[in-house]
Amino acid sequence: MSDGQIVVSGLTKRYKNLLAVDGLSFTVQPGRVTGFLGPNGAGKTTTLRMLLNLVTPTAGTATIGGRRYADLADPMRTVGAVLEASSAHRGRTGRNHLRVLCAAAGLPTHRADDVLELVGLTPAAKRKFKGYSLGMRQRLGIAAAMLGDPRVLMLDEPANGLDPEGIRWMRGFLQSLAQQGRTVLVSSHLLSEMELLADDVVIIAAGKLIRQGPVGEVLASMTTTAHVRVRTPQVDALTAALSGLPGAGVTARPDGTLLVTGVEAPAIGKAALAGGVELHELTPERPDLEGVFLELTAGKAGIR
Amino acid sequence: MRLVKAEVVKLLTTNTWWLFALGAFVTWMATFALNATVAHFTMGASTPEGASAEDAANLAVVGDQIYQAANLYTSGQLFGLLFVVLLGIVMVTSEFYHQTVTSTFLTTPHRTAVISAKLIVAGFAGLLFWVVTTGLNIPATMIFLQAENLPTHLGDADVLRAILLNGLAYVLWGIFGVGIGVLIRSQVAATVTAVLAYLLGTALIGVLFTLLAGWLDQDWIEKIQYGLPSVASSLMVAGRNLPNQPDYWVGAVVLIVWAVVTGTIGTLITRKRDIS
Repeated sequence: MSDGQIVVSGLTKRYKNLLAVDGLSFTVQPGRVTGFLGPNGAGKTTTLRMLLNLVTPTAGTATIGGRRYADLADPMRTVGAVLEASSAHRGRTGRNHLRVLCAAAGLPTHRADDVLELVGLTPAAKRKFKGYSLGMRQRLGIAAAMLGDPRVLMLDEPANGLDPEGIRWMRGFLQSLAQQGRTVLVSSHLLSEMELLADDVVIIAAGKLIRQGPVGEVLASMTTTAHVRVRTPQVDALTAALSGLPGAGVTARPDGTLLVTGVEAPAIGKAALAGGVELHELTPERPDLEGVFLELTAGKAGIR
Repeated sequence: MRLVKAEVVKLLTTNTWWLFALGAFVTWMATFALNATVAHFTMGASTPEGASAEDAANLAVVGDQIYQAANLYTSGQLFGLLFVVLLGIVMVTSEFYHQTVTSTFLTTPHRTAVISAKLIVAGFAGLLFWVVTTGLNIPATMIFLQAENLPTHLGDADVLRAILLNGLAYVLWGIFGVGIGVLIRSQVAATVTAVLAYLLGTALIGVLFTLLAGWLDQDWIEKIQYGLPSVASSLMVAGRNLPNQPDYWVGAVVLIVWAVVTGTIGTLITRKRDIS
């Protein structure tokens, strides 16, 4: 019962002349925030919607805790999903929107007030949805997802439309949910955000899996070439000293530092010492997720 | 049962229901006034002429009275049914329009159950519209008929039949509305189609089929119009059978078939449809 593992296996969705998701397989573990990454149009939303029985897969399966969404005895108490921000009747108050869902799921009405409190929307509870800002709409979506206190959370681009304060709130909120042992799957095309938020990443492009694993491992596996930032008053002397090292490349940066590629930091230090070059800084640069992501998905992102 | 409750909450938490109820009330007042005026001038205008034909003439007057009484007791039907069918349509199309269908189907992955709940609630809403309209019609008609020094005819079998079948029409049009809504998901398209088919359908198509039947000299063509829901429902609630028209129950059957067919096809489509 406590197992909230998401398993996607050979999942495929073909529209008339578009293969939106192409034999996609990955797993998502409980107790961790998993970032579901890919450029726009990569098939993230379609995949989430297939997990939630909103879209019928052409082939393959998607299960939550070993069951298809449609077979869950009590979906609202098992899975909470936030798909798009603008999914409430414009003329209905936020609280009544949640009460409708409570009624349909057989949850007590007071859950509506509980979750409004949880997302900090209590002051706007009796206001109509059309008067909500985008950030408030996102919060209402999260409130709806939390109604059944589910052990699995799925969010599609939750950072969209949020101000920096809202994004910070969301990050803390999702991380605390994962710490409680829940499964949290968050899709995004914003990688900088995922780097701060996610424990694991699943990267897809053009409907296919590119890479999955813990953020650190995915980054490490992509360190194909070393990047070292070097600061020195003797640029020419260093360039000359490094020219003896095979594979080394030196690029001047606008901020006055040099980017040395192809050789590790100790080798650069050794060459500088031998050449009598004064160094003020020697820092190995860890490639960020953004760079890795662009490298991984390059050429696959295009308009489809 | 949960889903029925959810649909009721949905209906009561937006302005649609009372706006439509208000619309039905205003149009009821207008049509009752019109019906009463017509009844005032048609009833009692015909006086028996020949003593030999006295009995027949009396029967004709009573018949006319019953027809008028049934018409008065079912006042407001034309627009009342329109508001009921629109309510049924909006119950479905607003879910797509406001994208609430996503959270609805997330809460309940069994889509057939969701549509079934909508059919039940729409039918029940139709029944309520009928209860209120009839609650207004009965005292109003009784007062009017007594003012005209005429019997109320409320206990008359034909009048009772008309009143009860009017209730059936309200229920069936509510269900039919949900059926139209699932078939035509676009709020605007579904509404416009229903209004045109309902209002123009009744008047224009009746004329069209009659002309066509006369022109081609084929009587059966004229009968096709009774297959249309709006013509069928007015046939169903007529106080008495008019010559050259099918019996009232044919109208009831036609309407039930429409409600069942649209509801079933719509549900089957919705079960398979991707929500994105």
